[in-house]
Amino acid sequence: MGSPATSPTSSTDVVAAVQRARASKTPLQPVGGGTSLHFGLQSAATVEQLSLAQLNRVVDYPARDMTITVEAGITMAQLAETLVKEHQRLPVDVPQADRATIGGVIATNWNGHRRYGQGSLRDFVIGIEAVDGNGLLFHGGGRVVKNVAGYDFCKLLCGSFGTLGIITQVTLKVRPLPERSAWLACSVNDAKKAETMLAALQQSAVTPAAVELVSGSVWQKEAALAETNLTKDNFGLLVLLEGTTTEVLWMKDHLRREWREAGIVNPLMQDGCAEPWPAVQEFSAHIDSPLTVQASVTPSGVLPFVAACRKRDPDCSVLAHAGNGAVFVRFAKFPDKGLSELMMGDLQPAAAAHHGHVVILNAPPGAAITHRSVWGGEAPLAVMTAVKKKFDPLDLLNRGRFVYI
Amino acid sequence: MQSIPSPSASTLTRLADALRRAIGAENVLTARSDLMVYECDGFVIEKNSPDVVVFPRSTADVVKIVKLCNEMQVPFVPRGAGTSLAGGCLPIGGGVMIVLMRLNRIVEINYRDRYAVVEPGVVNVHLTNALKGSGYHYAPDPSSQGACTIGGNVATNSGGPHTLKYGVTVNHVLGVEMVMADGAVVQLGGPAEDPLGLDLVGAFVGSEGTLGVVTKVWVRLTRNPQGWRTMLAIFESCDDATQAISEIIGAGIVPAALEMMDQGILVAIEAAFSFGFPLDAQAILLIEVDGLDAGLDQQRDQIVELCKKSKAREVRLAKDEKERLKLWKCRKQAFGAIGRLSPSYCTQDGVVPRTQLPLIQRKITEISAKYDIKIVNVFHAGDGNIHPILLFDERDAAQVERVLHASNEILEACLDCGGSVTGEHGIGVEKIHFMQKMFSPDDLVAMDNLRQAFNPVGNLSPMKMLPTAGGCGMEQKHPGRRAAL
Ligand SMILES: Cc1cc2nc3c(=O)[nH]c(=O)nc-3n(C[C@H](O)[C@H](O)[C@H](O)COP(=O)(O)OP(=O)(O)OC[C@H]3O[C@@H](n4cnc5c(N)ncnc54)[C@H](O)[C@@H]3O)c2cc1C
Ligand SMILES: Cc1cc2nc3c(=O)[nH]c(=O)nc-3n(C[C@H](O)[C@H](O)[C@H](O)COP(=O)(O)OP(=O)(O)OC[C@H]3O[C@@H](n4cnc5c(N)ncnc54)[C@H](O)[C@@H]3O)c2cc1C
Repeated sequence: MGSPATSPTSSTDVVAAVQRARASKTPLQPVGGGTSLHFGLQSAATVEQLSLAQLNRVVDYPARDMTITVEAGITMAQLAETLVKEHQRLPVDVPQADRATIGGVIATNWNGHRRYGQGSLRDFVIGIEAVDGNGLLFHGGGRVVKNVAGYDFCKLLCGSFGTLGIITQVTLKVRPLPERSAWLACSVNDAKKAETMLAALQQSAVTPAAVELVSGSVWQKEAALAETNLTKDNFGLLVLLEGTTTEVLWMKDHLRREWREAGIVNPLMQDGCAEPWPAVQEFSAHIDSPLTVQASVTPSGVLPFVAACRKRDPDCSVLAHAGNGAVFVRFAKFPDKGLSELMMGDLQPAAAAHHGHVVILNAPPGAAITHRSVWGGEAPLAVMTAVKKKFDPLDLLNRGRFVYI
Repeated sequence: MQSIPSPSASTLTRLADALRRAIGAENVLTARSDLMVYECDGFVIEKNSPDVVVFPRSTADVVKIVKLCNEMQVPFVPRGAGTSLAGGCLPIGGGVMIVLMRLNRIVEINYRDRYAVVEPGVVNVHLTNALKGSGYHYAPDPSSQGACTIGGNVATNSGGPHTLKYGVTVNHVLGVEMVMADGAVVQLGGPAEDPLGLDLVGAFVGSEGTLGVVTKVWVRLTRNPQGWRTMLAIFESCDDATQAISEIIGAGIVPAALEMMDQGILVAIEAAFSFGFPLDAQAILLIEVDGLDAGLDQQRDQIVELCKKSKAREVRLAKDEKERLKLWKCRKQAFGAIGRLSPSYCTQDGVVPRTQLPLIQRKITEISAKYDIKIVNVFHAGDGNIHPILLFDERDAAQVERVLHASNEILEACLDCGGSVTGEHGIGVEKIHFMQKMFSPDDLVAMDNLRQAFNPVGNLSPMKMLPTAGGCGMEQKHPGRRAAL
């Protein structure tokens, strides 16, 4: 689907591409690394793909200001490589970082496990440039870390799935690399115990960078977790600690003591490395699973939501950024009763009971996905549609893919 | 953006009657003397009385008010405590002022899911007080927190001394319920993160009352740090102090707060509170790190060393909580002390990249000399947010003129450094003439598009934040005289 991609090398080129699309009334699909283009509904109409791959320069990196300005097509890996030279990072963990682009990550408002301790992606975008469906090149924010001049287009475009504007350049706030990091992991017998331990973590003096809850066959096969005795029915709790060496050592001791008091005998520890388990970062990206969904619920809703999924598929695998309430579920088989029934009948009510909603990340091609089942949940559509109509009156940008049609 | 015709006297009488019936006569003010109180906020240069002031007690009241205003085509403007320093509450074209101070309940506090639900009229410090002893706090702490409301904080995206590490209001707001310009009630976001669809909460925060009237807010609660180390570094020159800031940030330390005060303001604080500051020092830095006790001494030592490397004369450490609070008192009361220095003053709110602080500091000194206006400085230095305070006597027209020129030149200099004209006070009516300098015509069209999506008729907070289509921003005649809170 889609004609061969055009690949602009400047924001002026992007403006020209939108102007052409306006003239021919051909919908446009901005493409970053193409890692999640399968997501959402596709429109039947001819779509022209617009690749941002050649807009991939570092525009300015005043490292001592701890900000960086880059073009939207730079990959997350390239960005990380640039930052690491100055002992800095953007603490946002993205699957397939060698392909995924900062523009795509912002367009999808992707957040990984460090969000618990470091904040979400939207907190790091301080300036943005984009081209809207009118062919207007516009900016929001700037290059300073504190700024309240004008409306916050950085936030508006974060998670807009490229439906309001094609992002061409962004300025990010960055953070120093921590001196040390360590993972602590253990298995927990049942859901009730898991909830107690999650709640306790929130009261603990320890301040984790990430709090992950895992379960299911995918994790049982994870070699790095073998010693935690993960079974079919229990849960794994993974905690990432980051900071100065003194802080990390103190937190490790303290948390082990707390866990021991809670009856955990032998927690597993991986010291000195931030990424012992790529599985945590890449979990959601497995398109070979028959069905992957993501729910956003309140933190106390994580275990009830997982229970609802297990009820439908006892063999599903779960990764939850449990401190934030983001739950990813890979089902082991495609639901017999049908996708819509599973989404709208079971999962959406289970998420809604905890103020949340659920979306399909991956379903097999040809599955009877409806707009409602992809985006299970209620959004204030009247306002969103009004905004969309102002920024893209001809509905050229990513037509039909987002919550509004 | 459409301009709003001023309502006729008979329309206003009918509207006031209808409002009394709708929300109760005791919640409606129309007497001239009562209205005078609402003719301006903390920005006192431009004044205009509203025609009617109303005090809703529920979301339903706000809906009734907004619908009546729409029916009779009368503009309306929301107001919290009225501490805005940019004139956000100015009722341009008169009309109805909706004061939200009586919507002041804390509806829910949920520690497991780390959020609280509050009505917009809750005073910022009241939420802090309600959370005392729980191990949690609400992070945004504007210096006006004893008076300003959470609704006003959301509308202006307030910051404060601790925003360096903890972020501004938008980083702590999970959702809002609001009454749209046409009277529809909408909930954006809520207790869970990442609501479905566009991030309209993010776009709404900081919209300065132009996109809707907030009637409920879901705020995020933050764990209290285990400990603090607070210190005061004393410098012989402002250059050395700004250099130290750059060194600290450059070393990858993110303090909880990093505030700078220059000699001018120190003298005033000392006269008011006798803290025992050396009056010959040119600048001091108030630096606080917080977090795990285990890591704090190391960070403190590193900071002391970096300050010494930047030629600090002395670094004093707060020994205990009492000394810490004393240091903070001197910072938070800084504005209160200015009254001793001059009859009038005008605070600016520019931002520069942190590494440009030495440059902007020198520039301010030059501008002070050029216009013969005394300027003292309080900076949220860690964020690059500067608050130069221009001292003058408003009875002297020539001085007033010079203050205006000096203010403009300082803000222009911030823009030249790659910064912004406002870090926390907002555009309001005060800085509207700068919008065309900061943003391109296309940027402004995009902003107007967003406003029109929410507020198509334009009768909610008209003539604020965006220059009108004709480009005739307000012309400033007087600098602000800031009341000391
Ligand atoms: C709901 C959801 C589902 C996801 N599913 C997967 C998955 O199945 N596998 C996986 O590996 N990762 C997935 N991700 C994460 C995804 O990898 C990241 O968001 C990724 O960083 C996207 O980057 P990309 O450059 O590959 O974007 P792309 O896949 O190229 O594009 C993703 C979306 O962003 C838009 N977009 C891209 N660039 C721009 C731009 N410059 N301006 C405006 N819009 C742009 C596209 O039109 C498209 O709608 C998902 C994320 C979300 C939020
Ligand atoms: C001494 C002093 C110190 C200050 N220190 C700081 C500081 O450190 N950091 C900082 O950021 N600011 C500071 N300010 C500025 C001011 O306190 C903030 O902007 C504050 O957020 C305003 O809150 P308020 O309730 O007084 O709002 P108001 O002044 O009443 O209103 C401000 C704006 O918000 C709109 N508004 C108010 N309530 C609502 C609502 N419910 N729905 C929609 N719109 C609404 C109004 O229309 C107006 O545009 C200071 C002010 C003073 C006087």
